[in-house]
Formats: sequence, C-alpha cells, structure tokens
Amino acid sequence: MKKLAVCALLLGSVFTIGTALAAGNKTIVTVVKLAGETWFTRMDEGVKDYGVKTPGVTTSEIGPGKADAAQQERLIEDLIARGVDGIAVVPFDPPMLEGVLKRAMDRGIKVMTHEADNLKNTQVDMEAFDNAAFGAHFNDQIADCMGKTGTWTSFVGSLGSLTHVQWADASAANAAKKYPDMKLVSAKNESFNDANTAYNKAKELLKKYPELKGIEGGSAVDVIGIGRAIEEAGLVGKVCVYGIGMPKDTSRYLKSGAVNGISLWDPKDAGFVMNKIAHMLVDGTEFKEGMDLGVPGYTNMHVKKGPGKGIIVTGQAWIDVNKDNLDKYNF
Amino acid sequence: MCARPLRTAKLLKGHLLRNAVVDRQLNFLVSANVLVLIAALAIAGPSFVNVYNLQSMAVQIPELGLLGIGVALAMIAGNGGIDLSGIAVANLSGIVAALSVPLWVSPDDAPLMFAFVFGGVCLCVGVVCGLINGLLISRASLTPIIATLGTSMAFSGISVVISNGSGIRLGYIEPLDDFGHMAVLGVPICFALFIAIAAFIGAALRFTPFGVRLYLLGSNAKAARYAGFSQRGLLLVTYTISGILASIAGVVIAARISSVKWDYGTSYVLIAILIVVMAGVRPSGGYGRIVCVVLSATALQMLSSMFNFLDISNFFRDFAWGLLLLVFLQVSRIDLRSWLVRKP
Repeated sequence: MKKLAVCALLLGSVFTIGTALAAGNKTIVTVVKLAGETWFTRMDEGVKDYGVKTPGVTTSEIGPGKADAAQQERLIEDLIARGVDGIAVVPFDPPMLEGVLKRAMDRGIKVMTHEADNLKNTQVDMEAFDNAAFGAHFNDQIADCMGKTGTWTSFVGSLGSLTHVQWADASAANAAKKYPDMKLVSAKNESFNDANTAYNKAKELLKKYPELKGIEGGSAVDVIGIGRAIEEAGLVGKVCVYGIGMPKDTSRYLKSGAVNGISLWDPKDAGFVMNKIAHMLVDGTEFKEGMDLGVPGYTNMHVKKGPGKGIIVTGQAWIDVNKDNLDKYNF
Repeated sequence: MCARPLRTAKLLKGHLLRNAVVDRQLNFLVSANVLVLIAALAIAGPSFVNVYNLQSMAVQIPELGLLGIGVALAMIAGNGGIDLSGIAVANLSGIVAALSVPLWVSPDDAPLMFAFVFGGVCLCVGVVCGLINGLLISRASLTPIIATLGTSMAFSGISVVISNGSGIRLGYIEPLDDFGHMAVLGVPICFALFIAIAAFIGAALRFTPFGVRLYLLGSNAKAARYAGFSQRGLLLVTYTISGILASIAGVVIAARISSVKWDYGTSYVLIAILIVVMAGVRPSGGYGRIVCVVLSATALQMLSSMFNFLDISNFFRDFAWGLLLLVFLQVSRIDLRSWLVRKP
C-alpha cells in the first residue's frame, strides 16, 4: 500500500501544476504549428506583449509538440470545449482545420487565421504581405546573385504548407517570365520544417546537380540546413542561397557567406497583430481598408474578400536581412 | 481510491474476494480515470464536465482507440506481434474513398448513399491492407514489426501518389458530418460505435474459440501448435481485423475533419502503442483486455484535454504521458491480494 500511496502522490503532483485563469477577462488563445520552434517562440513574445499592453484581455500561445495536423486539430477541439473568446490560428495544413474552425464559430468563438488565405471557415485571415510578391522577391534576389543564368531549386516546409508552396510557385513563375536562362530543377523539396532534413536534401541535390547555382529556402529553418550543406561541400560563394529565416539562427551562415540573404516578417509583430485582430473581432470592431493596426508594416492594411464568408487583410511587413544589417535584428 | 471497494470485498467469501480484486490493471485504470477527472474538476473547474466538453472528448477518442485495439490484438497474438500500419491504413482508406466515391455517387444528390458507400470503400481497403499484413506475417513469416513498418510506408506512399501529397476536402456531407459529431441521447455516434466495436471484440476474445486460441497462441505458441488449430489462419484473421479497425478509424477521421490527407495523425503510431502498454496488454503476447484499452484511451484523452484547458505546454504533456506510463507499469506490479491476505 505504501507503494500505491507513493504512486498516487506522484500522479497527484502532476495535476497540481496548473495556472489560474484570470476571471472576467476576454481570453484569446493563439494556436501555432509547432511549439518550441524559434519562429513561434518569437511569435509568443508578441502574443504575450499584446496581453500585457491591453487591459481586459488574457492572451496565450499553444502548439502541438509534434508537427501533425491531427494534434493541432485536437488542441482547437479542446479550446472550443473550454469556451475561449477568440482563437488565432497558424494552421499546419489549412483544409484539415475547416471542420473544427466551423464548429468554433458555430459556438460563437471568434476565429482569425494567419498564413491561410485558402481557408473558408475563418472570419479574418491576416497575411503579413502579398505572398506572390514575396516569392517573386526571393527569385529576383537569387537571379541577381546567379547572374540571371544557371540551375536552381526551391524548398518548402511541406507540400501542404500553403504559403511555402505559394512562394515557391510565384518564384518559379517569376523566373519563367523574367529570366529565360534560369533552369528550375526538382522544385519544392520538402524539409518538413526540420533543418537536418533540409541539410540532407541539400546534400543530395548538390550531388545530383553539380551545376546547381541557386537554392531558395521555404520554411524558417531550411536555409540553416542548406547553409551547412554548402559549407561542407566547400561551395560558399558558388551557390546562391536565399530564403525565409530567423536572423539569430542564420547569423553564422550569413556571416560565412553560405547563406546570402534572408527575408522575413517579424513573427513577434505578427503575433501581436493576430491578437489585435482577434480582439477586434471579439469587440465587434469593423475592418476598414487602409486601417492602421499600430505596428510598423501593418499601418495600411489592404482588405479583400476571402474564399469563404471571411475577409483577408494584408500588410506590407517584410524585411531583408543580410550580413551587413544583421546586427539590427536580435531574434 | 481502492480502499473502500476492498473493505467491502473483505467481507465476502474468499473466491469472491479474489475475483473482485484480481485484475489490478483494471482497478488501477478505473481509479486513474476517476483521479484524472477529479483533478481536472479541481484545477480546470466545473466547465470540464459540462456536456459539450464531455462530448468533445468522447469524439476525440475513437480514432486512437480503434488503432489501439488493433495494436492490442496483434500484441496478444504473441511472437512480437504489433501493427504499426494502423494510421497509414486509416489515411489510405479515407483517401481511396474520397477520390473514388464521388465518381459513382453524388454527395449532393444522395448524401446518405454517399456516406454508406464511403464507409464501404474504406472497409474494403482496410480488409485488403489487413490481409496483406496478415499474409506477410503468417505466410511469409516476417517479423510483425518489420512487416507492418514496411507496409505502413508502402500504404503511405500509395496515399501520397494518388492524392498528389495534398489534402482532399470532402466538403459538408450531412450524414457523414453527423456521424462525426452528432450525439444521440447525449452520446456522440462515433463514440457509441467505438464502444460497440470494443464490446464486440472484448466479448469475442473472452467467449469464442477465436479468443481462446488467440490467447493460447500468444502465451505458448508451441502448445498451440500441438493443440492442432491453424495458426496461420488465426494470425491472418487477427491482422485483418486490425486493418478493418484502422479503416473504421479512417471513416471517423474523414467524418470528423471533413477532409483526408496522407500524413494526418503521424504521431498516432506511438500514442496507440502507449495506450496499449498502459492498458496492461503484455507485449510478449498472451494477455490483454479490451476494456483496459478503452479505459487507458479515456484516461489519456482526459489528461490531454485537461492540459489544454490549462494552457500547459504540449512538451509537458508528453512528459506527463511518459510519467503516467511508468506509474502504470509500476503499480500493476503491486499485488493487492497479498496485501489483503496479510491484513487481519
């Protein structure tokens, strides 16, 4: 029996770790693709910041421990049962969340999404910028670096990650239109948001296409893996690497020249704006063309109709980081 | 938690007393469920047991529970039995049905017909996949873990190729959506189906020659061989049932989220095994109870929902699950009978 008591005690101790919910406040929960990834850790800063700066709102960020649409769906399922006021989601795979988000809205919960402009069951989808323009911007940078000629390839987090695919497609379309001498091979390699997978894929690609001169990263960690592969192959300066990335994570490769440049939107700002939008929905504030959400890059929002009943709001919030201006970004 | 029933049991005759406490795993799982519920009530507040949350949790159980029962059956069969291909079969059956059924039946004109044909196609795919697993293990004598790992990758591969790697949206199909979410008399339909299937398989294991033979095969394959029944046939049936259960999970997934994708639930493989081990199914075969698998699945679901209610990190949840598993394994070793006998 002693053993049993010890075990029960142990079990009990697991449950006692709980957080008290502030009463009376509006609760907005941000659901991200994957907990613990640098990108979403930075986003969490913005989420918390909004909660601290705005009275009457409790904000928090959660995400699955494994990159799996099923786990994210379950998280939202439980949020509906909990009866939060607003949910802000960065979907792992937008179509997989249609059902659960519809149920959330049916229960009167306000729903906003980020990076999911194909999702029907959302009230507001927020995009940091026009994705096609962002993709073309990568391609222009790579083209300049490659001298507008040669073989290049692209990465995506997964084929289901909508924005990654949009950037890669827009980039390819831009090249086809503007740079006829650039040859795209083996486009949209999947890294599954894992730098190590990106590293292995990049190594394979460099072996398979020795003439490869440009690589475009898709997920936030792709360029890290690609940069490592480039360094190990002794190809620094010979292969142009651009992609989305985090300044601190990528700094080593930016300094060594293995990665030429990264472009990004600050996930902290995005997290802040997502919660601002969710809060506006909870309060019933109207969304107007050209509105100012109070964060640089989000001061002149473009509003258009989404694929469902909701709207899509777009900012102009991308920044280019290379080894010259790297010091300005401490995340 | 156990003290009171034991004290009453003490008053009963010896054999009754033995029966009442004989299954330590079952007792512990029941107490764990109650304990989690009480803890959730205390920490997360009464909204944890409102009808909506209970239904929401119930709806989330079947997919994992069905895969768990499949794994449990394979484990009971012994000889290192396991089925890693469950979620791959579930996704493949959903994808095949989502691609093929709209060609024959219009979901708009005949939604009920569509739902039934959808389920039928899923089951057929499940039977075929289960048979492939069963044949590889019983005829080709492959080790189950290797065979099902291989078929799991093959099934996922087929799913990727036929769906082009992207998700397939089913749209709103009323009967299917009802199956995934609607509650009859307060019980969600898909959860009721899950309980019915669990009860059926539990009864089959206990009362039919199939069950007796399966336990015998798992506990002593040599003795089973001399008993003179067809081991190959038994393994084939077991893995086919596992495949069918997985395909039912596929229908539940499709109904619940109105879309199907090849990589949905990739984390389920290990969670299903966790559920089964926590349920006390012996990994070396010969022992395991379906009721324990169900209770283990409900305990895990309540625990994870509780953590979500409290905004607790999912990494902590993984840690808690692991801890829970270790506690379960340890507690199931404590013999309550010897404790009872020692007491005056």
